Parts: sequence; C-alpha cells; structure tokens
Amino acid sequence: MKSAAVVAVIAVAVALQMTLARFTVGGRWVFDLVLVAVVFVALRWGPTAGAVGGTIGGLLQDALGGTTVGVGGLAKTIVGFAAGVIGSQFIVTRPVPRMLLVAGATVAARVVVLALRGLIDLSWPEVSWTGMLTETALNALVAFLVFQGAESVPAMIRRRPLQRASFRTRRW
Amino acid sequence: MIDIRRRTTYFFLLVSLGHVLLISAQVQSKSGMPLIEHVAFAAFAGVQRGAAAVTGGLGSLWNRYVALHGVVSENVALRAEITRLEGRLQEEQALASQARSLEAMLRLQTSVPQHTLAARVIAGDPAPDSLTITIDRGSLDGIRADLGVIATGGIVGRVMGEPLPHAARVQLLIGRGAAAGALLERANAFGVVAGGGGDPPLHMQYVPNSYDVKVGDRVLTSGQDGVFPPGFAIGEVVKVERGSTMHKLIAIRPAANFSRLEMVLVLLDAPHGAGTGGGQ
Repeated sequence: MKSAAVVAVIAVAVALQMTLARFTVGGRWVFDLVLVAVVFVALRWGPTAGAVGGTIGGLLQDALGGTTVGVGGLAKTIVGFAAGVIGSQFIVTRPVPRMLLVAGATVAARVVVLALRGLIDLSWPEVSWTGMLTETALNALVAFLVFQGAESVPAMIRRRPLQRASFRTRRW
Repeated sequence: MIDIRRRTTYFFLLVSLGHVLLISAQVQSKSGMPLIEHVAFAAFAGVQRGAAAVTGGLGSLWNRYVALHGVVSENVALRAEITRLEGRLQEEQALASQARSLEAMLRLQTSVPQHTLAARVIAGDPAPDSLTITIDRGSLDGIRADLGVIATGGIVGRVMGEPLPHAARVQLLIGRGAAAGALLERANAFGVVAGGGGDPPLHMQYVPNSYDVKVGDRVLTSGQDGVFPPGFAIGEVVKVERGSTMHKLIAIRPAANFSRLEMVLVLLDAPHGAGTGGGQ
C-alpha cells in the first residue's frame, strides 16, 4: 500500500512537471515538482520511502530527458534519504521548516548533479545562479502549497459529515 | 537480526551503488539506456497527449469566452499591422525577385524549398536541466531521428532518438550537449553554436580572434551540421571577448523564444549527411 502510494505520488509529479514545464521551457521559471514530491514522500513515510521515491523519480526524469540515466536518480535518492532521516530526527511539521528543507534539498540535488556531470565530462559545467535561485524559491513555494493541501484537504473531508450532523441536530 | 536503522542505511547504500554502476556503464559505452528511455517515453507520451488536450481545452475556453475584453482595440491594431506587413511583404517580394534574377545570372543552384510539418508541443522538460520537449508528431507522420526543428524566430533543436508512432522528443539547442553549425553573417565566420544552460544559454565556438565580431551581429545556420539547411536564424551576439586561446568567446541570445514554445515546424528534408552533427 505504502509502495503503491509512493509510486503514485512520484508518477503524478512527473506527469505534472512535464505538463506545466511546457509553458516555461528554457525560461526563467524553473521548478522541479518531482523533487518536492520526493521530499513529501520522505517526510510522510520515512527515509526508505524517500530513497525509493528519489530513485524512481530521478530515473524517470533522466530517461525522459535523454540525459545520462542515473545522474538525477542518484541525486534524488540521496536527497530523499537525507530528507527522510531529517524528518525522523527533527520535528518538521510547520510550513517554514518544510520550505527550508525543500530549498536545501533543491540546492543539494543540484550540487550532486553538477558534481556528477563534472566527473563524467571532466570539466565543471556552466551554472546559471539565477536559475538555481529561482528554482529553489519556486520549489519552496510549491512545497508550502503541496504540504498545506495534503494536510487540509483530508481534514476538510473528515469535517464535512460532522457539520451535517450538527445542522440536523440544530434543526430538530 | 539487523537493526531497522542499519537496514535502511544498507538499502540506501545499495541503491546508490546501483546508480553509480548504471552511470559507469553508460560512460564506458558512450551510449544511453535505450530500453529504459524508450519504455519511459512510451509510457508518458500517452499521458502527456491527454494532459496537453485538457490544458489546451481549458486555455481555449478561457481565451474564446472569458478573456474577450480588449478584443476590439486589438482588432484595430492587428488590421493596422496587417496593412504594414502587406507593404513590407511586397518590398520583400520585389527584393526576392531581384535576388532570383541575380542568382540566375550567376548560374547558382536555386535553393530547394523546405518541406515542413507543424507539430504541437505536448510536454516540457521532465527535469529542470534536461531541456527537451515532446511533440505530438511521430514516425507515422514522417518524423525521423536528427531532423531539424524550427519555431517563430529561429531554430529550436533536433529530433532526439527514434520517435514513437505519434510522439517525438526534441533536444533543444539551448540544452547541454546540443550544437549547430553556425555562420556570423557580417563577419562571414564559421563556427559552432552550442548550448550550455548559462545566461545567455548559447555560445559560439571556434571563431578565430582575428575576425571582427560585434555585439548585435546575426548568427545563422551554416548548413554544415547535416541537420539544418543554411540561412536559418540562430540568434544575435550579445557579448564578445578575446579568448585566451586562439578563439573568441561569443555569447548569443537565441532568436527563438524558448519560453513560449507551443507550435514548432519539423524540417522533413534533412540536408545531406543528416545525423552527423547537431547534437550530443
């Protein structure tokens, strides 16, 4: 059940990433919904789920992007595992720490990818610092929305039958 | 019995090792993972077609019924623009006619008109640094690997790998590892324009320091890469520096607007020797 949920969350994130990135290809608004999903999975289900989610998401992104398969996979596996460990050791339930965690994960994933590319090509790749900053900020913002939505929507659904019952009580 | 924490760490190390081996296998063989790539692409292409249809429908609903304010003034402005462009077209036709007669006089070979196929962009980058797009045309529409792709303004990239029957991936010129044969129009200097993901995202290489290159110079395709025919716009020089080696450092702003790619044209007539260059 947990494995299916992890796979579903990552698959939806990949599909959403490709759909939304269509409108910002090569532009300034760079974001990585898959990374946000990996951190989400890690905080919700622990480091193993984070590593599995990172592996699946990263490998899918590598395969679909035509880049060296495994580079993004390794970066997201490390980030997913680390986010899961942090989530199990510290209290990361408030929005700001979660946003900071996603921001840190974005920078860490990017650094790992750049380092691996540098090792493969034997030269340090060119870095767009503006792009990295935008991606970090956007990912943190998306994380805020995703985490708030994931908590408030089920709570709203749970509250609905209670509201109906209280209405009936008042009426009769 | 192994402690659960230790087991998680072992699992993580095992998965990481798997990734490293996967990367090493590709670096040694200099080829990708065709099976993984093909399966992933085939699985997501269908989803993206559906998602593109839904987003396209919603966008169309918004544009046609909701966001109609300002249409009258826009119509007036567009009519004026059409009139201006018609005049310009006539001027260009006259110039083209003159050029054709000169060409005939010089007995030069006339250029073969390009056969193109319009395609809709149905998906963007799966990862922020991959810089590829997916189009809704594939092998059944005549798309093949390494065909050039252009958009309003200039060239966009080339078809990457074997396409599916109804979808194909396009490697963008601004992406890492992409390149096209280029010509500086004013200086008449040949070189290679390569992507890299920086800002600006294109750089022209192999132009000797002795050439006179200025900011604002136009860069066109040279036709030497076997992907793009000569004369298509690549971009404009925005920065020139004297390189420490014998070549200049030239930064180029792309002519095509990569952040607004909705429709593209695939050049179906690949120049001779297609597939010999133009990409990674």
